[in-house]
Order: sequence, then C-alpha cells, then structure tokens
Amino acid sequence: MRKLFQNGKIAFAALCLLGVAVGLSGCGKNEKIVIGAQTFTEAKILAEMYRALIEDRTDANAVVIPDLASSPLVVSAIKRGDLDVATLYSGEIFNNHFPIVDTRDREAVLQQAKEGFDRYFGFKWFDPLGYENTYAFSVRKEVAAKRGYRNISDVKPDADSMRLGVDTTWLERPSDGYPAFTKHYGFTFGSTFPMELALVYSAVAHEQVDIVLAYSTDSRLKAYDLTTLEDDKRFFPPFDASTVMRKDTIEKYPGAEAALSELIGTLNVDTMIDLNYQVDIEKKSEREVALAYLRKVGLLKE
Amino acid sequence: MTDIWNFLQSRMPDLLTALREHLVISFSSILLGSLIAIPLGIALVYNRIRWLNTVIFFIANLMQTVPSLALLAVLIPLLGIGIKPAIFALLLYSIMPILRNTYDGFHAVDRHVLESARGMGYSTMQRIFTIQLPLSLPYIMSGIRITTVYIISWATLASLIGAGGIGQLIISGMGVNKPELVFAGAIGAIALAFIADWLLGLLEKWLSGKFGRMGGAEA
Repeated sequence: MRKLFQNGKIAFAALCLLGVAVGLSGCGKNEKIVIGAQTFTEAKILAEMYRALIEDRTDANAVVIPDLASSPLVVSAIKRGDLDVATLYSGEIFNNHFPIVDTRDREAVLQQAKEGFDRYFGFKWFDPLGYENTYAFSVRKEVAAKRGYRNISDVKPDADSMRLGVDTTWLERPSDGYPAFTKHYGFTFGSTFPMELALVYSAVAHEQVDIVLAYSTDSRLKAYDLTTLEDDKRFFPPFDASTVMRKDTIEKYPGAEAALSELIGTLNVDTMIDLNYQVDIEKKSEREVALAYLRKVGLLKE
Repeated sequence: MTDIWNFLQSRMPDLLTALREHLVISFSSILLGSLIAIPLGIALVYNRIRWLNTVIFFIANLMQTVPSLALLAVLIPLLGIGIKPAIFALLLYSIMPILRNTYDGFHAVDRHVLESARGMGYSTMQRIFTIQLPLSLPYIMSGIRITTVYIISWATLASLIGAGGIGQLIISGMGVNKPELVFAGAIGAIALAFIADWLLGLLEKWLSGKFGRMGGAEA
C-alpha cells in the first residue's frame, strides 16, 4: 500500500511537471507582442522602451525575450513569427541575408536594409532611432598617449606584436570582418582572441590583450578608460540602429507601430552610452532605466 | 551539397585547428579534474570528520551552478584569457561527477571483503589499491565517461574567453548567418564525444582486465 502511495506521489509530481511544461509552451500562443533583444545591454534597454510604449499607447500586452545570441538569430525568429519587434542595425545587410551592393554610404546601406528586409523577410525597417553603434578599435588611454595612437593606421608599425580581442563574430564577417580589414588597412595583428563581447573590455583593461574591437556605444569604454581610434580609411560600414517590426504584426496592431514610431530620431550616441552606463556600471535594471528615460523626454507621463 | 563540400575543403585548416583546441581543452580539464577528484573522493571515504565531507560535496555541487560567463569574468584578472581560464573553469565543472562516483564506488565495495582483508593483515593502502580501487573501477570510469561527454559539450565555453575550439565555429557561424559553420562545429563536437566515449570504454575494459586479474591473484 505504501509502495502504491509512493508511486502515486511520483505520478502526481510527473503530472505537475507535464502541466508546467504545457503551460510554458502555451505562453507563445497568447495574444501578445513579443519583443526580442540580443545579449548586449542597449538592445535590452530599447526592448523595455518598446514594451512600455506599446503597453501605454495600446491595449496590447508585450513581453520581452532577452539574450538572443546573434542578430541573424533575431532575424530568423522574426521571420518565423516567434518575435514581432526587435532592434537591428543597418549593417545587418552584410550578414548574407540577401544580395547587396557593397557600399559604405550611410544612406545607401540604410536604404538596402529597408528594401531588402521588406522584400525578402516581410519586415518593416523603421527610420533610424538616431544613433550608430559601430565597431571601434580601442586601446588603454595610457597606451594611446604613450604611442601616439589616434587613427587605426597609427597601429600598423606595432600590429605584429599586438594581441587583439574581438567579439565572437568579427573574424568571420564577410565584407566588414577581419579578412576584408586586412586588405583595406594592409596589416594583421600578431594574435587574435575572439571572445564574449562583455569580457573584451575587462581583458584589455587587465592588459591581457593590447587592443580590442569594441562597440562604439558601450559604456565600458568610458568605465575602463579606453581610447577609441579613428577609422581613418573608412573601413567599417554604418550601423544605424532601427526598430524592426513584422508587417503581419503591424496589420494586427497598427497602434503599436505608431507607438514605436515615436522613438524615431530621438536618441543619440551620448544618450545611449549614458543609458548603457546606468545598467552596466551603476547596475540599474534595464526596465528602470528605460522608463526613467521615457519619462524624462516626455514620451511617458510621470 | 557541393556547397558544403567546397566549404569543408576551403576551411579545413580552421576546422582542424578548432578540433585540436577543443580536444586539448577538454582532455586537459578531464585529466586534471580526475587527478583532483579521484584522490579527493578516496580521501573523503576514509575521512572521519563527517561535516568536512558535507562541506566538500557542497562546494563541488556549488561549482556546478556557477554560470560560466560569470566565472570567466572573475578569472580574467587571475588567469587572463585564452586556454588557461577555459581549462580551469571546465576543471571545476568536472570535479563533482567524478568525485561523487569515486566516493559511491568505494562505498559500494562489500564490507565483508574489506573486513576479511583486514583480518588477513592488509594495510589501508593495500586495501585501497588491491581491493577497493579495482572493485569500484566501473563506478569511477562511468563517472569519467559521463563527465567527458559533458565536458566536450561544455568546452564550447572556451569560445567566450578567446580559447577557440568548436564553440567558436558555432557561435561565429550563428553570428554571421553561415549555417555550414554551425553544422561543421556541431558534427565535430558529436564526433569528438562519440570517439572519446568509445576510447574510454576500451580503457575501462583494459583496466578492469588488468586490475581484475591482479586483484584475483592476490585476494
């Protein structure tokens, strides 16, 4: 009898687990606008802004799914309909999504992103939010001062002995990655360490690498006292941040599109660095920072 | 299909480098993990201070739960970047399963066998090496085999800290929308795990044959 009772308990526990699993998988089916965000802070802050605006201006509910590993992952998730909204950068067109004309012109890249993602993916690519988050070669401030580095070209004589820390994708990127960089600037680095972007800053600050390829809006550039070198030979393509939304979702929730459009052109690089700083260094939550900002600029009422 | 073939051919050196890095990292951490965890497990079996066992198992369990990125971030000032912190992190992850299996394996040895060995005048060291170790070998080896397969999959964390490996193929392939890179990485990891498990199976057979005879002859 006791045995039977125990089996009963196990069966009950299993049923509970099953229930939880079914409940969880059911979540995706709810009528909600799903906002995706990549692993870095800025994407998560913006996602919280989108959520706040959508919930304030419309009756729809929104959820944020953070920490998506890469931008192509975000693109395919939107295409599948797993996500409705996300932030992407115009340079995304260099990731083999569709045929492109190779150019460094800011307007032309943006135009190709808008048209290409509309035509091949059914996304609406909004006008830019107002800032760019591009690659930025950065060194420790005292190294820049001692060696007189101001431009990327200045590094050339020492590059052979330099250790480069980069994110996990740059070495592989086809038209704006390492192989293309080598051709464009005419030098290679002594050794390369592809690693998680979040660790790149600490690695250069602790002198584990000599130069890193940072993201230009990252607050840790400031926090770790790094100097960014000028891209004097115009190698890196533009990376204007834009909100992206599924066209199906727009048809269903026109109000949400209008709400998100209010953010167009409202941000700039310094604001973004500051918002990132509040999360990465001051350890506030992304939601808190997003709401405070929207209230400050009057997009949300107090 | 020809695309994949062309891709494999053009990137073969990179794929082999990644495989080699992955192998070195996984193998070193398993080896070091075993060298720490097996003796520690044996020591815990003979340890009379109960609370110490609890504390050590607690710490070993705790290490399993530390998120890898957090661990690697903490390790940068101490071990820098590259292969060292990767091996160290994986080594910490490998300790618990090997320790637990060694400990349980020693406890599973029939008490009567040990009592009679003691009666025949076996010293503690003799009991460990000629009776308990051979008899608990299946436990220990299964601990190592399970851990090896896990570590080969976890060693993808090496790509977070600049140590390369198969994870680098997978993560960068995801980042730049090259599914063939992800595919090559995944196949490589699966193949490594299978081969490693198979080799360890052979090792287990060989060891049990060797120790089995030895134990049989002396007991």
